[in-house]
Amino acid sequence: MARTIHLDLDINGKTHGLDVEPRVTLLDALREHLALTGTKKGCDQGQCGACTCHVDGERVLSCLTLAAQVEGRQVTTIEGIAGDDGTLHVVQRAFLEHDAFQCGYCTPGQIMSAVACIREGHAGSDAEIREYMSGNLCRCGAYISIVAAVRDAAATLGAGQKAEAA
Amino acid sequence: MRDFSYSRASSIEEARKAALQAGAMMLAGGTTLLDLAKCGVGEPDQVIDISHIIGLDAISIDERAATIGALAKMSAVADHPAVLAAFPAVAQSLSLAASQQLRNMATIGGNLLQRTRCPYFRDPATFAACNKREPGSGCSALGGVTRNHAVLGTSEHCIATYPGDLATALVAFDAVVDLGGRSVSVEDFFLAPGDTPDRETVITPGEMIVGVSLPTSAAARNSTYLKVRDRQSYEFAAASAAVGLELEADGKTVRDVRVALGGVATKPWRAREVEQALIGKALTDETVTAAARLSMNGAVAQPASSGGNHYKIELAPRVVARALRTLGGLA
Amino acid sequence: MTILEPRKHGSAADGMVGGRLSRFEGELKITGNATYALEYPLENLAHAVLVQSTIAAGRVVSVDAAAARAAAGVLLVLTPEDELGLMTASDWFGNRSENQPFHPLPKVVRYNGESIVAVIAESREQAIEAAKLIRITYEEAPAVADMDDPKAGEGKLLDAMTVEWGDAEKALAASAVRIEAEYRTPREYHVAMEPHGLTAQWDGDQLTVWEPSQWTHGMARTYAEWFGIALDDVRIVSPFIGGGFGSKGGALAYGAVAVAAAKKLGRPVRLAVSRPQNFTSYGGRAATHQTIALGATQEGVLQAIVHRGASETSTYMDYPEQTGAATPILYKVENFSSQTRVVPVNAVTPGALRGPGKNPSAYGIESAIDELAHKLSMDPLELRLKNYADHDYQSGKPWSTRRLREALTEGSAAFGWAGRRHEPRSMRDGKALIGWGLGCGTFPVIRAPSSAMIRVLRSGRVEVVSGAIDMGQGTYTILAQTAAEALGVSIDQVDVVLGDSRLPGSAIAGGSMLAGSITGAVHKTANAAREEIVGLALNDPNSPFRDTGANTLVVSEGRISVASGDGPSMTLSDLLSAVGRDALEVTRNTLPDDAQSATDRSNAWTSMGRVQGPTMGDTSMHSWCAHFVEVRVDEDFGTVRVSRMVSAFDCGRLYNPKMVESQWRGGIIMGIGQALLEEGLVDPRNARTINNNVGDYLVPTNSDIPDIEVISVGVPDYEASALGGKGVGEVGIVGVAPAIANAVFHATGKRVRDLPITLEKLM
Repeated sequence: MARTIHLDLDINGKTHGLDVEPRVTLLDALREHLALTGTKKGCDQGQCGACTCHVDGERVLSCLTLAAQVEGRQVTTIEGIAGDDGTLHVVQRAFLEHDAFQCGYCTPGQIMSAVACIREGHAGSDAEIREYMSGNLCRCGAYISIVAAVRDAAATLGAGQKAEAA
Repeated sequence: MRDFSYSRASSIEEARKAALQAGAMMLAGGTTLLDLAKCGVGEPDQVIDISHIIGLDAISIDERAATIGALAKMSAVADHPAVLAAFPAVAQSLSLAASQQLRNMATIGGNLLQRTRCPYFRDPATFAACNKREPGSGCSALGGVTRNHAVLGTSEHCIATYPGDLATALVAFDAVVDLGGRSVSVEDFFLAPGDTPDRETVITPGEMIVGVSLPTSAAARNSTYLKVRDRQSYEFAAASAAVGLELEADGKTVRDVRVALGGVATKPWRAREVEQALIGKALTDETVTAAARLSMNGAVAQPASSGGNHYKIELAPRVVARALRTLGGLA
Repeated sequence: MTILEPRKHGSAADGMVGGRLSRFEGELKITGNATYALEYPLENLAHAVLVQSTIAAGRVVSVDAAAARAAAGVLLVLTPEDELGLMTASDWFGNRSENQPFHPLPKVVRYNGESIVAVIAESREQAIEAAKLIRITYEEAPAVADMDDPKAGEGKLLDAMTVEWGDAEKALAASAVRIEAEYRTPREYHVAMEPHGLTAQWDGDQLTVWEPSQWTHGMARTYAEWFGIALDDVRIVSPFIGGGFGSKGGALAYGAVAVAAAKKLGRPVRLAVSRPQNFTSYGGRAATHQTIALGATQEGVLQAIVHRGASETSTYMDYPEQTGAATPILYKVENFSSQTRVVPVNAVTPGALRGPGKNPSAYGIESAIDELAHKLSMDPLELRLKNYADHDYQSGKPWSTRRLREALTEGSAAFGWAGRRHEPRSMRDGKALIGWGLGCGTFPVIRAPSSAMIRVLRSGRVEVVSGAIDMGQGTYTILAQTAAEALGVSIDQVDVVLGDSRLPGSAIAGGSMLAGSITGAVHKTANAAREEIVGLALNDPNSPFRDTGANTLVVSEGRISVASGDGPSMTLSDLLSAVGRDALEVTRNTLPDDAQSATDRSNAWTSMGRVQGPTMGDTSMHSWCAHFVEVRVDEDFGTVRVSRMVSAFDCGRLYNPKMVESQWRGGIIMGIGQALLEEGLVDPRNARTINNNVGDYLVPTNSDIPDIEVISVGVPDYEASALGGKGVGEVGIVGVAPAIANAVFHATGKRVRDLPITLEKLM
């Protein structure tokens, strides 16, 4: 018999209670149980990056993460990175401006990866951006625009940090 | 994935005890356990989540050794400045593996225990025969598509490649796995398939990797991890080499050298014959080339009929040679 | 802090056709609010999972589903024993065999990875787990694993595809310089990031299917025919598609399974095809072999081309991957011969994948031309220009537009080709051998009719409505631009509604035919809407324009005014209010006047019956391109990395260069994958595709891709389309693989004639 457990997950700053089987992944919990379908399923086996979201601020693959595993941690998905008033994140704006996507299916994962990439300090050069964005496959082939968007957003965010520091 | 129960262990003792129950498996980063559960290869009845145990992710380093907790994330170790300074090959082996997302999830202990990418091992619904999964059932890879299979350490029962990068670097620098009650060198920790391909390490039920320690050395400080693959990123190695080099004061003669191979063997492969051939010799293009060839002593290739792997026997020594030349300033 | 202005576009001109408007639906995609097929919330949803065959050929003797049926949450198991009562549907051209039953879960296994059983459960996890309990007993039959299998034979000659003019064999024999070689390409896969699948729901006899679709109307027809219901009772919903590349053009067997399960259960069913199952649920690009012989004078004047091609097909359908498609039209040649074969193997029927036919064809001819240039000690660019085709030697017709010469010259200038030393192995940087290569590409202009509706609403909004789809090509964007320009409204007033078979029909998003077709329909509809608005303003008794004495009015920036500038001027919204109308709705199509019956229209949107090839008019119409590539090959390891690329395109007028450049680069990047990475690996013993996942079937990552400069050299071609564009989506990939192979030869002196160019071939 299927066993269900109760989880209280902290997602995008809100607590979501749900009863699921322990085997339910974070990805399926988001998509099938919480109607947070912005996080995409591209392979379900850790090979494409479409399901990238943040756990305690670090980018991870939600397809290889159990929902139960992240109880007590802070989960952020694509639905949670814009401002409360809907103001787009700098990275989102850069993706739009540079046309860094086509079909849009890998895009939430790319954006979540890009936000983390910049925060990690791995956006120092085009070569570094490419390498640290390589865990997110894009079959439409938007890579060049993705690099441009990350470069641009990193500069914007870096300038913002400097202004704050000053 | 088969239905399973989930519990969190709050201490090593609790984890080890829980893991002794039938069908129990430990979950750390989840990147191997959930992947294999989805493939139907490893199906736990009980998942013991050890990732919340406090204090097992520490990284400490002094003049003599580095100690890395089993739950340290690959990305944390890869970006650790002191690790990068004392063991560049180890840090590089991690940053060249998988993707940043996976490196943020996967732990050092779990990384060592990752399992082969042999497609026959990973597809039990189609290929019933696999001595790793079902001892005595046979090996579906033999006679199949073998481009990515091992050329070293194989047996008539299994030719699956050990896929990891980190363990290759660790074995080069005499790292030791701490299993709580006992310690084992990384080299001895892994088992070649022989007659028992299902036994991949010496770990026994109820044991868990607590940490890894790495003795510092001049060779480790002057080291590199060179990984060659079809794709530029996010792929396992076609062949890789972890190499460390210490020269005498003359800047030519080899005092200490470490060579280990990845992507070509059934376990992380220390190439001692290469090391022995170089110690005390002047490092030149000729000595490097000749010594690197020794890394393939005993190598056995699969038939070329369906994507054979003979190229690895050519490729691996070139990878070793390039790494040695780079470290020795010959490149 | 610099602020990236949140904006849809940079200037007013961006909203016009030809402007660089940012992706119209972009905000939905970057916020996670674009809803894809498996994401629609439905009450009482059940989940279906497929069980696929693990043998290459044979018969299903029995299915033991007892354990699965008893498993937690299982609602239904469908096996080949279940008579689902379906009938075979029409083919692409609308031809249908009468009274042929259709069994989406067959008793006879034709390939490894064919769907045999479906398990439907309350949750996806339960269905997956129960599916593992299914035991199928087979009676195996001999199988042919692939076209290299000794049992495969040489296949069937397809006479209709033979192309001959002059006397190629004789001219070849008489040529002073000859080359002959065989070129091979492996099975390649679409690998759209969104896996296939659908959600199906019945409401009485009415069926709604949420499924990613490159052609909502065509798929609706198939479902209607399978299930014996009226076309109007089927609705395909597909506003967002996570990539298709040719794979999502038609309904597939698993779709029938899900819909049948939904019918049996009386509840909605979602079927997600797993990533591994995607490799065999529909066909990728067939493996090909082709032999090409070229004859030329000592001066490099081409005398003859002899081409013999073959591609894999399935045992149950002949699907040729036309390796002779580009061969006859790239060069001036008086003597030509091409023959095409298909070789049946135990694999799923291959399908169209980006640049079908032209792509492997260009790999052959563009590699061969490079080999000829080397033999002649001639610059491959010079050889191409020397044999430039002044007209289409196959059809004998003049080109509509062909700016391949400009693509070659402008591309070479941007690349710096003049600095090339032509002998192989003449450039290096340390251990990296550097090579420069060139390859041309082409794709035909395929025309088809479409229809569209425009609604001008009293709220001031303008809706552009069509069943056409956008899988990332930019349909939303260019239709907004087209309507805004033709109607005279601001882009910010426009909404675009797409991807629903209940909306006006359109051409398929395939063969690069949609943009030219649907912009034509929207342009026509918007013009008609503008005329109707003007007529309303001039004639309605309550219109303030009625007494101006003007005989026409202008509509601009959403306002209607008297041309002279005197007299009233008001928004379209105010005009509709004044005349007491809530909306003005106009529908038009681009079918000929004598084909406007309901049947004509239905057939036009649900079959390929009205599709016109590139030479059906007075001219021969194609898109063209030239790719210039720099590679770095590690001398010791044989690894190839593309380090720099310039590609110049003639695709006519560009409706939105920003979208077009993305499409071109996307095609090129897929071509880099094809050249260096992509290969379906088949186990010869059971014909299983063993690298059926994206960790083992390698597509390019971000790190594999350098900067790629794309240049447009096209001019508007109004024979090709109403607004002057030619296709952009397919052509980008064509010619990339040979350009890379040629660059690898230049770098290393090694000619690799079988893709992909993996390291062991260069060590």
